[in-house]
Amino acid sequence: MSFFSFCPRRAGLIARVTLLEAMRQRLPQILLLGAAGLAVGVQGLRGINFGLPELKFIADLGFGGMVFFGSILTIFSGSHLFYSEIYGRSAVTVLAKPVSRTEFLAGKFIGMMGVAALFSVVMTVVIAFVLYTRESTLMQERPELFEHGGRLRYGDIFAAGFAYGLRFGVLAAFTLMIASHVRSSLYAVMASFGVLLICDLQYLAQEAYAHTGTTPLRLLAGLIALLFPDFQVFNLADLAGAEDGIQAEQLWRVTGYGLCYIAAAGALAVFSFKRREI
Amino acid sequence: MKSSFITVAVTVLALGTAGGLGRALVAPTRAALRLRQSSWRVDFPDGAAGLVRGGALLGGFRTLAADFLWLRVNVLWEKRDLPGAMQNLRLVTALDPRPLVFWLNGARMMAYDMPAWRVAALGGRAVGAGGVARRIESDQAHLALAWLDAALKFHPASPAVFIERANIRINCLHDPAAAAEEYRRAAGQPGAPRYAARLHAEMLRRAGRKTEALAWLVALHAGLPRNDEAAAADLVLARIRDLEAELGIPPGESYRVQEL
Repeated sequence: MSFFSFCPRRAGLIARVTLLEAMRQRLPQILLLGAAGLAVGVQGLRGINFGLPELKFIADLGFGGMVFFGSILTIFSGSHLFYSEIYGRSAVTVLAKPVSRTEFLAGKFIGMMGVAALFSVVMTVVIAFVLYTRESTLMQERPELFEHGGRLRYGDIFAAGFAYGLRFGVLAAFTLMIASHVRSSLYAVMASFGVLLICDLQYLAQEAYAHTGTTPLRLLAGLIALLFPDFQVFNLADLAGAEDGIQAEQLWRVTGYGLCYIAAAGALAVFSFKRREI
Repeated sequence: MKSSFITVAVTVLALGTAGGLGRALVAPTRAALRLRQSSWRVDFPDGAAGLVRGGALLGGFRTLAADFLWLRVNVLWEKRDLPGAMQNLRLVTALDPRPLVFWLNGARMMAYDMPAWRVAALGGRAVGAGGVARRIESDQAHLALAWLDAALKFHPASPAVFIERANIRINCLHDPAAAAEEYRRAAGQPGAPRYAARLHAEMLRRAGRKTEALAWLVALHAGLPRNDEAAAADLVLARIRDLEAELGIPPGESYRVQEL
């Protein structure tokens, strides 16, 4: 098989099996329940909200739970789905057939993305539903606040959910890249959490790049800023409360940004996996 | 060794290319987000930066964390713990700068409550005789104004911040001219309450700039809706008449109401 040998049908079959296997696991179900429970239960925390408008408070905590549980799901589930094939030797059986390693990894990635996408869709719908319910109640209790109609822009909520889903996609691609290179699943999980930490704090590297005085530190900060994606960019929920909301242009720019890193990390995963002994 | 070098080189090349392309693509969105996220800032005082970096990891949970810190601020306020309250006020707004209530109430604590604590700690106003009490009040008022300057970075078009600044300038610093300027800026913001414009004129009058006050009120009254209670067109007209009397303007040259 050459590097570029690729059959979408074969990759699709592997993705389907990966997704079904993931659905049988307990972890995604528990994490989804936890995140959804938090999004629904956040209404009980309204009493300690002092500063933000109530609907913004609910959205913030709902998306906070989505990001927290979704990141854990992406790393643990992604790592498990890859290493279960390696440790169980089923990867050897699959790759003995006319299936290229590129197709195998693409299938795994699409399957992992399927899990993340399902999680993101369910969570975004739950958050939107909780917000809708609360807004309806508020409209009845305090109609004077809603003279110009509802305040929620559901398009923005779903755009924010999509951006977080994309963030999980980038994280899944990096997890796969690490897993295809290292032999221990524990090491891959730890390294993936390390990457998550770096990506979440990426803005610091960028600020340091702009402000630090010494040349070696500037170079180091610039390199980190270049190699690791900045996960703050995917927090489009912060723009959802802005006057003009989330613009379509902003969404496609963030999508392009995520796809750049997914493509690079995916290609590197294939590069490493091709050179790996199974 | 050679294989490891190739792996590192290919990794740097691939991720570097993606990063270069991606950064150029997402730069405008980053700029928009930067205005709304405290976590982008790295210049926080008093160790707040560490918390804010933690806040970036907390994601949406930073709202909840800031609320808990705000509860702590209020506990410290009740105990009259000035250093503790100041430290926690900075942490709250560093963690979540979006709620205006943190900035406004924080400024009020600094400008009105903390001077009283400091004077009381010196033995009361009698002990802090001479200029000591006034200097403390002035120091605290300037601290509150600097605090509201920081608020303006996140809420640049908020009339409430300008009104709070005006209140501090007139109540604590007894400077009607500076207060007039703040009320004028408040009145120019979208969604500003009607009284901000009226108070601008009142501050001008107190500063002795009665002609300016009259000109402002005349221009204001001409554009006010007559059937809006908050606009208080009758009150504005009464003040116009008072100023005309104070300035000795003859009846023939006085302001004539145009019916809208």
